[in-house]
Amino acid sequence: MALLPEALLFLGGMLTLVSGSFTPRTRQWRMSLVAAAATVASLVASLVAWTGGTRAAFSDTFTVDTSTGAARVTVTVSLLLILLIASGEVRDHPRESETYSLLLFGGAGTLLLAGSTDLAVLVVAFLLSSIPLYGLVGIMARPGSPEAALKTYLFGALFGILLMLGAVLLYGLAGRAGYSSLAAELPDAPTAAVATGGVLVLMGLLFKAGAVPGHFWVPDATQGASVTAAAFLTTVPKIGALVAITRLVAVLPGELRWATVLGILAVASMTIGNLAALAQDDVRRLLGWSTVSQVGYLLAAAAVTRISDQGQPALLFFLAGYALTNLAAFAVAAAAPERRSLEGWAGFASARPGLSAALVVALLGLVGTPPTAVFIGKLTTMGATWDAGLAWLAVAIALNSVVSLFYYLRWIRAALRPAAQRGEEAGTGTGTDGTGGRGAPTAALVAAFATVVMGLTAGPLWLVLA
Amino acid sequence: MHDLVLVALVALPAVVGALLVLSGSGADRFAVPVGVGTAALLTAASFAVSFPATSRPTVATPFMAGADLGLGVDGLAALVLPAVAVVSALVLLAASGTPALRTARFYGLMLLFVAAALMTVLATTLPTLLMSWEVMGATSFALIGYHWRDQETISSGTTAFLTTRTADVGLYVAAGAALAGGAGLGLAALPNASGGWRDVIAAGLVVAGLGKAAQLPFSFWLSRAMHGPSPVSALLHSAAMVAMGGYLLLRVAPTLAGTGWADDTAAWAGAATAVLLGMVALAQSDLKQLLAASTAAQLGFVVLAAGVGATAGGATHLVAHAAVKAGLFLAAGIWLEALGTKRLSSLTGAARLWPVVAACAVASLLSLAGLPPLALWATKDAVLAAAAEQSPTLYVAGLLGAALSAAYATKALVVLTRPVPDDAESRYDDERNGTRAVPTTAWLPLLPLAAGALLLGVLALPPLFTHVQELVGGTAPEPSTFELVTSALLAVAVIVAAVTVIRGVQTRRFVWPRVLTDWLFLEPLAHRLVVRPVEVLARRLAHLDDAVLDRSVEATAGGTVRLARAAALLDDRVIDGAVVRVVSGVRRLGGLARRPQTGQLHQYYLQALAVLALVLVVLVLVR
Amino acid sequence: MLSVLVFLPLAAAAVLLIPRISAGVARGVFVVVTAAELALACLVWARYDTPAAGALAAEEQARWIPGVGSSYHVGVDGLSLPLVLMTTLVFLACAVHALREQRRPRLQAALFLFLEAVCLGLFVSADLILFFVFFDLSIVGMYFSISGWGHRDAARSALKFFLYTFLGSLALLLGFVGLYVASDPHTFDMVELTAHPPLQGHGVAGGLVLAAVLLGLAVKTPTFPFHTWLPPAHSDAPAIGSAVLAGVMLKMGTYGFVRIAMPMLPDAWRAWAWVVIAVGIVSVLWGALVAFAQTDLKRMIAYTSVNHMGYVVLAVGAAGVLADGADQARQVAVTGAVTQMVSHGLLTAALFLLAGSMFERTETYDLDGYGGLAGTAPRYATLFTVAAFGSLGLPALSGFIAEFQIFAGSIATVPVTAVAVLGILITAALFLRALQRVFTGPSEGLSVGFTDVTPREWVPVALLLAVSVFIGVLPRTLLDVIEPGAAVLAHLVGR
Repeated sequence: MALLPEALLFLGGMLTLVSGSFTPRTRQWRMSLVAAAATVASLVASLVAWTGGTRAAFSDTFTVDTSTGAARVTVTVSLLLILLIASGEVRDHPRESETYSLLLFGGAGTLLLAGSTDLAVLVVAFLLSSIPLYGLVGIMARPGSPEAALKTYLFGALFGILLMLGAVLLYGLAGRAGYSSLAAELPDAPTAAVATGGVLVLMGLLFKAGAVPGHFWVPDATQGASVTAAAFLTTVPKIGALVAITRLVAVLPGELRWATVLGILAVASMTIGNLAALAQDDVRRLLGWSTVSQVGYLLAAAAVTRISDQGQPALLFFLAGYALTNLAAFAVAAAAPERRSLEGWAGFASARPGLSAALVVALLGLVGTPPTAVFIGKLTTMGATWDAGLAWLAVAIALNSVVSLFYYLRWIRAALRPAAQRGEEAGTGTGTDGTGGRGAPTAALVAAFATVVMGLTAGPLWLVLA
Repeated sequence: MHDLVLVALVALPAVVGALLVLSGSGADRFAVPVGVGTAALLTAASFAVSFPATSRPTVATPFMAGADLGLGVDGLAALVLPAVAVVSALVLLAASGTPALRTARFYGLMLLFVAAALMTVLATTLPTLLMSWEVMGATSFALIGYHWRDQETISSGTTAFLTTRTADVGLYVAAGAALAGGAGLGLAALPNASGGWRDVIAAGLVVAGLGKAAQLPFSFWLSRAMHGPSPVSALLHSAAMVAMGGYLLLRVAPTLAGTGWADDTAAWAGAATAVLLGMVALAQSDLKQLLAASTAAQLGFVVLAAGVGATAGGATHLVAHAAVKAGLFLAAGIWLEALGTKRLSSLTGAARLWPVVAACAVASLLSLAGLPPLALWATKDAVLAAAAEQSPTLYVAGLLGAALSAAYATKALVVLTRPVPDDAESRYDDERNGTRAVPTTAWLPLLPLAAGALLLGVLALPPLFTHVQELVGGTAPEPSTFELVTSALLAVAVIVAAVTVIRGVQTRRFVWPRVLTDWLFLEPLAHRLVVRPVEVLARRLAHLDDAVLDRSVEATAGGTVRLARAAALLDDRVIDGAVVRVVSGVRRLGGLARRPQTGQLHQYYLQALAVLALVLVVLVLVR
Repeated sequence: MLSVLVFLPLAAAAVLLIPRISAGVARGVFVVVTAAELALACLVWARYDTPAAGALAAEEQARWIPGVGSSYHVGVDGLSLPLVLMTTLVFLACAVHALREQRRPRLQAALFLFLEAVCLGLFVSADLILFFVFFDLSIVGMYFSISGWGHRDAARSALKFFLYTFLGSLALLLGFVGLYVASDPHTFDMVELTAHPPLQGHGVAGGLVLAAVLLGLAVKTPTFPFHTWLPPAHSDAPAIGSAVLAGVMLKMGTYGFVRIAMPMLPDAWRAWAWVVIAVGIVSVLWGALVAFAQTDLKRMIAYTSVNHMGYVVLAVGAAGVLADGADQARQVAVTGAVTQMVSHGLLTAALFLLAGSMFERTETYDLDGYGGLAGTAPRYATLFTVAAFGSLGLPALSGFIAEFQIFAGSIATVPVTAVAVLGILITAALFLRALQRVFTGPSEGLSVGFTDVTPREWVPVALLLAVSVFIGVLPRTLLDVIEPGAAVLAHLVGR
């Protein structure tokens, strides 16, 4: 019963898949309703479960607490938005229902990842959440997607192996796989061995989070895959991965060491992501790199969850805010599929005023402009890191935010530029604007609006998460 | 009641003036009556507050920096205030004789200026003084540059404003020092300021005073100011602006004396100006320039008085000189209007054309020459007597200045009273087309001024002088008979000598050294030493601002972008390379090898593993 | 009360986003709302009575993010109230000036109402996060104003402005976080932080936090050497954009000094006062000299802003130097600084609106292109002359009141600051030269056919100048409000 939300998602996925295969091509859109229904059900279940307070399930292999609750809500809400985006893009596509089910499977796997407090479960969850990912990246036959899928897969394979290695090592050191027993046993184990095991597991999770050094696949995948897949894989897996990371480092001895390591990786992620994004001309690749940098900020919060009592709520709030904002940006991209290069976005403001407003909110949100959710997330993260004695991390966040402004503004400027000055290859733009269907624009507006509301109502939310 | 009058003395001209200026050409019709009427009221009011039945009024309201906005009439003010008011009224009346000046703008600006001048006389605190002081400077800019179509006059106004404001900086510094000195910003309290600060205060005041009074080294702005309309010169450079410089130093004489050095500085600056500018005046070939230089020289005596503590003497000299110079400038203006020239050579015999004007001018010139028993003879000696007490050298310098004033006055006198040459007409109108007529309103004001020039000396002579001493305060010695006689003889001797010499010069042309005709090259010097360097510096800095500061910002931004390009390049090379390899790999191995042969993916792996290793190291190091 | 003041324009802006609203209506709404704001501000002023030391008047507080010790907390005191009133005035002037706006007037009205809300919000906020929210949003709003309604190289200037000031804002945010972390219990509340300043006695930490805050404020102010974004931003911004940017938004930086840096980090402030003073002096002279070399009217005014803001920095720096018996002088300096903020707001806004009228007619700010303009446009000449003389610190206008107190106070505490007095000389020179170039001499060049200003152009300018004259002649009305606040601040810095 404790896994009801995950179960609902999984069952919803199965149902979509099975009934999808009996539904004629033209009726496939119904499957989106099925998937959506399942997701809503899961969301409700998550909220109900949340009120139940903290408790462990399946002999401590899975924990239901604030983190799990927050992750569940965030994931399910994100899934709903992604389904909206998808409804436009994959409508009447031969693989429509499969896409829906893969999304749900991936969500379920991520939630499992978020809640697992046992190495074995962790490994299973990793696989459960990874496989749908590969599928999603490759499912749409579009130029570049096979290659992207291949890379993601091969890359994931390595990190999967590392993760399992680490798990085995830690299991060997502690004699048990449960986190509680890890916490009890590991302090007595040889440091180097513990460190190795911990790092190896961490590597796997970093791959899911798309953070350095596991980030190489992210830009290719976001550029090559469908917008739906891109939106999913830059949002949902991160949620599970980061929560899992906090759970892992919480039981490893030497809190400051791990905080420092995660901090360094965080700085690496945000810096590399930002610098690489600067010169990008393809908005999806740009977004891809931007998510690498964003996960850097999230990682900074995850680094100090154990030291500062501000860290946990900061991370969870930031995760939710980031998910909404990032999805808003992707939704806008999905709503204007033919606009790929920055030049192509000229004249967008006049053609789609509402959407461009959403775009501006989303991008400024990603920069961390108040009063959006990401601002509160960044602010509290800086506070937490400084509070934990890692002021340099706060400084790094600030500096990187400035750098990130460069490329987000490039996009905004492109969108605000009058159509007259538009580049040639985007000539087809205005005519076909809106081919994304109704779903994506709705998702964009809802998400963008939600980020602002979330920022303004940060107070109560915070109290729930703290 | 008197308090209200006191406020009105400043508020009335200020408000009326502002209204006139803002109402524009529409109000030109009322300009003259309103302006002259206001000035007349002010005259009456000035006497009312200066010599009231009861005690003299003072008003004050909180202003800023803990100081009041204060107006008050003390003995010194009681003496100067009426003089300023009367001269203003007469000048405004005379100005109505010049058609070009019968405008709301001119009368408005004049009234604003008068308001500022009266406020300066009445000010009891530094903020009040500084306020009126700066407004005086600004309005003088507007008045000197009244004919704004002519770039020359405007830049003369600019020169006047900037030069005097340079000196005003002294007042700002003095204000700061006074605040720190602990004695407050009241003028009367300044001598009580604590040690070092009092010296700063005194220094600031001296600089400000010398600047406004056109003493050395600031004198040149007065020369430029002559581009303004003659009535403007008649007011600004006789009774008001320039005189206020001297007035300020008289008012703060106790503060100067307190320092032990500031008073000597003032005294010597005054004496030096009296001598050097006297020589400059002697060298001028232009009537207004001559008068201007003489103004600076005569104010030298006032500043000297402030330096030697002869407040009463200085005040009387100030008043008498106001009457003399106002009359002369008006006369010069009349001739300029009528004959279209102010060059002395062209004005030869001008005094024979309009008897009343001539009579007044002659009277004023004789008084300026220090001919006993006329005004300036007595007042000047009242100053020199005190100077003699201080140091014989100062006294001698003063006498020299007196001799020079006698000389240049005579020079003008002789030229003007010569018989009109036959070719006179051909020399007129070198500046503008003269009207060849003198309206009544123009010459009428000359009469009271001339009377003043003749008679005001009684203020500085027994028995009246003792009362003046009591009124003004200060215990300077009265001039001894010996001194009076000496200066009288000197004056007469110089006059006689000058007459003969000038007659002689007529035959063989005499050329004055340029250093004198060009006002000691003061303006070129100021330009070379101050203006140019500042302009150059400004241009350099502006270049620096664009070229270095701004660039450096852009450079950092550019640097980031370059770094980014590098990162992106790596990214692209790796990725694109991957694609290429994949394709080629597929070609090579045909459909068999679906597994991509990408060294790139190995690169990925290697990098990832490298990071992993790095992290391990960190973990083991950091504890 | 204050909330209404802040959110009324915001609501109006939201309404104006409805596409169906016609241009005429939008312009009308713009004027009406800004006028209402002015009325509201006057009401606040009328009801205002000096709060106890460290407290605020018209205070309002509501829970916002209690978890991180941040709340919706607003209030005014002697330091902020004058700025609030000045802000509403400037925006009203802009609204009237924009009555002829042809380019997307509805959106412009919405944007500027948004900006008004943001500016007012910043001046009344008593919580660091709230302050920062408004601080950042002001940058965003101004960015869109420049890039959307600017001319010439607007896009580039706007980007530069955004990047530069955003960098500053993040430095500021870092400083805020530092204050938050150091405070115990953790809080962002300004009143709390002022009452119990954290980092007292922590030399290094305090210095670093102050450095971050100073960097943020220095960029916004801007002071030398962070001022290079200002000239391009101004010269390419629309007239009312420049008016708001220079008139109101530059004050956010200087206001931050007196509201945040000085009372919350007194120790560090006193330790670094000399740096602040030095920066102030350099800004004064640098700004004046560089302005002296400009031939572009807007760039010239922009650099004089650097000069004028330099006086403020100089004064607040001097207020941090504790000489014995200089308490009164330090209060005078602070009073002068706040007065200067108000005065500069009025005068510079007026100058930029006039510059805008010039550009509307001739599409250039090149001073050398004109001559004898006083003949063809007398009313324009009069207004410009008054504004210029006000800006060069002529008595009877507000500038003199401000600068006299700044100089008197600063020189009395730190005699070396007397150097800065040269600034008023250079500004005098450059304004007189500009007047001479543009307005005097024979009417030639662009002056020919230069139509005089219309009521919708001169009324707002006259309004601003009238207020400036009022302050210049009867300063007590303003100073009675400022001086208590200044006294409190001088005391707080002395802790």
